[in-house]
Amino acid sequence: MSIEKTWGEINDPQDNDLSSLLQSSTLPKLSSHNPLVKIKKNLLNNMVAAVLICMLYIFVIFYFQIWQVQIAIGLVLIFSLWALYTAYQQYKKLNTTVSSHSSVLDELKRHYQSITNWMNTQQKVALYIYPVSAAGGFMLGGVLGSGKPVAAFMQKPFVLIVLLIAIIILVPVCWYMAKWMFNYSFGKHLKALKKNIDALEEEK
Amino acid sequence: MSEANFLEQVRQNQGIIYKLVGLYASDAEEKKDLYQEVLLQAWKSWPAFRQEAKFSTWLYRICLNTIFTQKRKPQRVDYKDSLESIAPAVQNKVAQQEDVVRLRQAIRQLPETDRAIISMNLDGYENAEIAEMFGISNNHVAVKLHRIKQQLGNLLTA
Repeated sequence: MSIEKTWGEINDPQDNDLSSLLQSSTLPKLSSHNPLVKIKKNLLNNMVAAVLICMLYIFVIFYFQIWQVQIAIGLVLIFSLWALYTAYQQYKKLNTTVSSHSSVLDELKRHYQSITNWMNTQQKVALYIYPVSAAGGFMLGGVLGSGKPVAAFMQKPFVLIVLLIAIIILVPVCWYMAKWMFNYSFGKHLKALKKNIDALEEEK
Repeated sequence: MSEANFLEQVRQNQGIIYKLVGLYASDAEEKKDLYQEVLLQAWKSWPAFRQEAKFSTWLYRICLNTIFTQKRKPQRVDYKDSLESIAPAVQNKVAQQEDVVRLRQAIRQLPETDRAIISMNLDGYENAEIAEMFGISNNHVAVKLHRIKQQLGNLLTA
């Protein structure tokens, strides 16, 4: 069999699935399933959620006049604003349209980099924000539940130990949870991208 | 640069989309998704299309960049829908149909980047054009093509 001749025989395909898409009415209805589109949507959702959460933090800081809680929530607010800014920068930079000028290798690298950047942001959020937020919530919950001022509530060594244990457990748990969720969503895809990058770069 | 003009150009070159998607789709559902994604990405990039470039080469690049960066299911070599759909294209010549099916099946067994490289080679692209499309050196393309053709020969004679 001649490979070239046989390949040439499939030049005039009749595929109804493709033909039906080539109608003028279908173009505006198409939506992208590119992973970067999903990440961009996630970033937008994260930013909206971060704005709402920051507003809640500001309310808590002004409403509960307990300085320990105010410091903890204040710290979370600073981290949240930083995360919001990072997410916004990433959102602005993220181009979801596949390049019609870049080489396959460059495009593979761009996608790989964009996805890993997003993963790093998510892990930083998990590492810095959730535990501090949990500590602030712990103190606030304790104060409201016990009806005592935070100083009195935190005076007991048992409460301090519980708070420390909660933070020690929450930091790695949040980090691993973020990592697990990321791997679940994009792990296989990242591996496939890396495999193709390596295959094209193997000569270098 | 109208929508009708765009669709007409794609219609004339739909063989590129058909052949490339057929080398990577794992099932009928994924094939439809990839068709849609390629068409959408091409439509989004259409305003940036420079008329001095060949439309077929431009579409080839969009097709490859879309397929390679899309989240896809694990590959199944013997995906029936994709193989049977070739049949009408070869106008009922049974022996030719069998050859086409065998060739497509053999190419689908190659590593992902190799499938695209051999496809471009069989479509008549020069090594330099393939190298530019993939962002690798001419020498690397030549080495890869030599190896791919050997591998393909083995798969077809096995």
